[in-house]
This record gives sequence, C-alpha cells and structure tokens, in this order.
Amino acid sequence: MRNYALFLGCTVPVRAQHYELAARGVAKELNIEFVDMPNASCCGFPIKALDAETSLLIAARNIGLASKMHLDIVTLCNSCTATLSDAQLKLKSKEFYYKFKNLGFSYPNEIRVRHFVRMLYEDIGIENIKRAIKKPLKSLSVIAHYGCHYMRPSYLYGFDDPEYPHTLDDLINATGATSIDYLDKKMCCGGSVLGVDEGLALTLANHKLSVAKKAYADALISICPFCTVMYEDNQRKVEAKFNITFGIPVLYYPQLLGLGFGLSQDAVGLKFNRIKTDSILEKLT
Amino acid sequence: MIDLKNTDPNFKWEIVKQEGGEDLLKCFGCSDCSASCPVRYFDERYNPRRIIRLTLIGIKNEVLSSPFLWFCAHCHACTERCPQGIKVAELINGIKNYAVAQGYYPSGLKAQLNLLNNQGRLYEVEEFDLKKRQKLGLPPIDKRIPEIAKIIEGSKVLKKVAQ
Repeated sequence: MRNYALFLGCTVPVRAQHYELAARGVAKELNIEFVDMPNASCCGFPIKALDAETSLLIAARNIGLASKMHLDIVTLCNSCTATLSDAQLKLKSKEFYYKFKNLGFSYPNEIRVRHFVRMLYEDIGIENIKRAIKKPLKSLSVIAHYGCHYMRPSYLYGFDDPEYPHTLDDLINATGATSIDYLDKKMCCGGSVLGVDEGLALTLANHKLSVAKKAYADALISICPFCTVMYEDNQRKVEAKFNITFGIPVLYYPQLLGLGFGLSQDAVGLKFNRIKTDSILEKLT
Repeated sequence: MIDLKNTDPNFKWEIVKQEGGEDLLKCFGCSDCSASCPVRYFDERYNPRRIIRLTLIGIKNEVLSSPFLWFCAHCHACTERCPQGIKVAELINGIKNYAVAQGYYPSGLKAQLNLLNNQGRLYEVEEFDLKKRQKLGLPPIDKRIPEIAKIIEGSKVLKKVAQ
C-alpha cells in the first residue's frame, strides 16, 4: 500500500466530484491509499496576480499540513500543482520561511508535490497499469490535453518534455485506447483569461476542440478541472461563437482509466459529465 | 515616437523589487516570449515583449493602466523559451502585482480575494454539495478555513484591495 495526502483544492470537491470519484476509484484498484487533508484550503493561485507572496504563503500552509502528516501530496488540478510546487521551492528562501513560521506554520518533513497523473506515471508505471487493465478500450481514439501547469514551468517540475509532452499519451495508450498525435499539444485552454476576456478564452478553447473534431476523436482527455471548464462547460458557447458543432465528450483521465479497469460508468461518475458520453459507451459495448 | 521626458526611469527598479521581477534587466528584447505566446497567437493586442520593453523604458502609465497586461494566461510557454532564462510569466505577474498596489486590477480578482478571505475557498460549500458528496461516498470537506483570512490580513496590498 502506498499512502499519499490528497489535496483537493477548490474546484474538484464541489464542481468536479466525478473527477474525484474516479480518481479515488482507480487509486483503490492500484492499492493506493489517499489520506484526506483536514483544514486544507484553496491552493492560493486565484490571488497570485494580486499578491504573489501571500498566494504562496497560503500554498505553503497547505504543504505544512501534509508535511506534518509525513505524506507526499497528490493533486488533481494543474494550477494547484504549480502553486504548491512553487511554494515548496520558496520555503527554501530564509526570508519567506521566516514569514511562514511567524504565521505559526511549520514544515517538519521534506515532502513531494505531484499531480496524480504524474504519480501514476512515476510510482505505478506504464507496465503495472497495463497489467491492471481488464477491459482494454481498443475501440476508442482520443486526444490528450495536458494543460499548462502539468509540465511547465520545467524549473519547478523537471518532468516530461515541456515542448513535446508524452506521459499522458503513454498513460492513455496503456488503457488500450489510442492517443491521437497532433500539433499544438501544449496549447493553453484559455481558462485563466476567462474572467478578463471571455471571447479570447473561447478562441483558445476553440483551437483544441477543432483539433479533436478534425481528428475524429471520441473524447478529449483532461487532467485539470479548469481545462474541463473551458472544453466541456463552455463547449456550447464555443460552438455558438464560431458557428460550429462539436459534441465532443471531455473525460478526466481517471475516468478513462477506470473504464479500462472494468469499473462501472457510475463508479467513474460518467453521468455527471456535461457533454453526453453515450457515444463512448456504445463503442465500448 | 517616444518622448523620453515623460518616462519614469525609476519604474524598472520598482519592478525589480517585485516578487518575480528580479530578472527584468536581463531582457535583450529578442521577442521569443511573444513568438511562443498562445494568447499573442490569437490576439495581437497582447504582447509580452512590448510590456517588458515599456517597463524598461519607463512608460509606466501605459503599462499599468493597459487592460492587456491581464491577458497573460500564466501558461509559462515564454518561460520555457527565454534565452536569458527569465521566468517571463513570473515577471509579468510581478508587473501585475505592482499595478495592483497602484490601484489597477480587474474587478473579478477582487471578488476572488473576498471569497478566499471569507471562506478560504473559491467556491462556497453548500449543504447540497455536502449531501451530494455523501451520496457518492466522498468524505465531507470543511466549509470554511478561517486561517486564510489571517494570512491575507498580513498583506498591505490585499487589505487595500479587499476594502
């Protein structure tokens, strides 16, 4: 049994419970134990643009909570991963650490912060995941969307290739599904400018949805709740703005993996996906 | 034409002091950041190189009051490519932080700050959410994390924004 502190952040536990459900479900299949983090807050990212240091202090407090539990953090959101990793780096600076300590926080044990998908790739590994697949998803072709803060900035992560990432493609292929190769894999979803200029955010989202459509992808695979907001929740808006029809299901990677493990559609929360997933289920029967 | 009489030569030193602003002076203007930028690809109004050059020259008002500063998606595509090793997304964020201290910021950010101040989370956790979680077999979560307000309280800038 491997133990990790599960950091949920703001969006996942109230807006993307199906992501959390599927993540916990596949973790159980892989003998991973998630320990919840009482009192964990927002990661701090939403106020980084206002005051970076305070945002990092909020992040560092969360790291302190897991450090006291002596557990590595696993996150489900790309922005949480980046902000917590940034704070961890920052804790090495004496000035920052002093402020952190003065607020009554502590960081007694060195821990790691990683995205769940990265942890699957590094700690479980492709071969073990392949071995755990009971129902290979051979009939599905999908496109992988990494999102910005999964492998960038590389000075925080040192993982995967920031220009030509491949780990999510490898993990998708491990389920038996085909991950379609395409250009502009690292294109941003537009989520972080949604509050500033909706038209611009929708234009960015349209780019990758169009790639998925041209490639006849059965689904777009996301690993970040913000990216899913752009590709799934806002898909109708993109269709209206660009006078185009997509109807492309957006699945979180643990949902896809869960289907490969033979978990039921309810166990991976498919009924909560806002774009209907019937086309996928038909192909799998 | 730029009239240097109206520039503020101290502006760049103010930015260098910001979190993320440390590397500003390393920029030699190659434009790799703009060429790598996904926002710039779709909307030419946003141009990270231009923001950095204006900052170095000291055209402060244009940098601070321009809505385009807020178009940065913080995706770090620029950071990966900068030949000078500047963490460009962090630099732009440092300029944003300075703009905030001078009173320039989008209203949406103030709303986010108030949510964090009140509950320590971006989304309110309602009874409905807790019931839905219970039904799905997911553990309960805290509605409020009061310690976050204490952290925010320590920031002069945020106290000003939250008012």
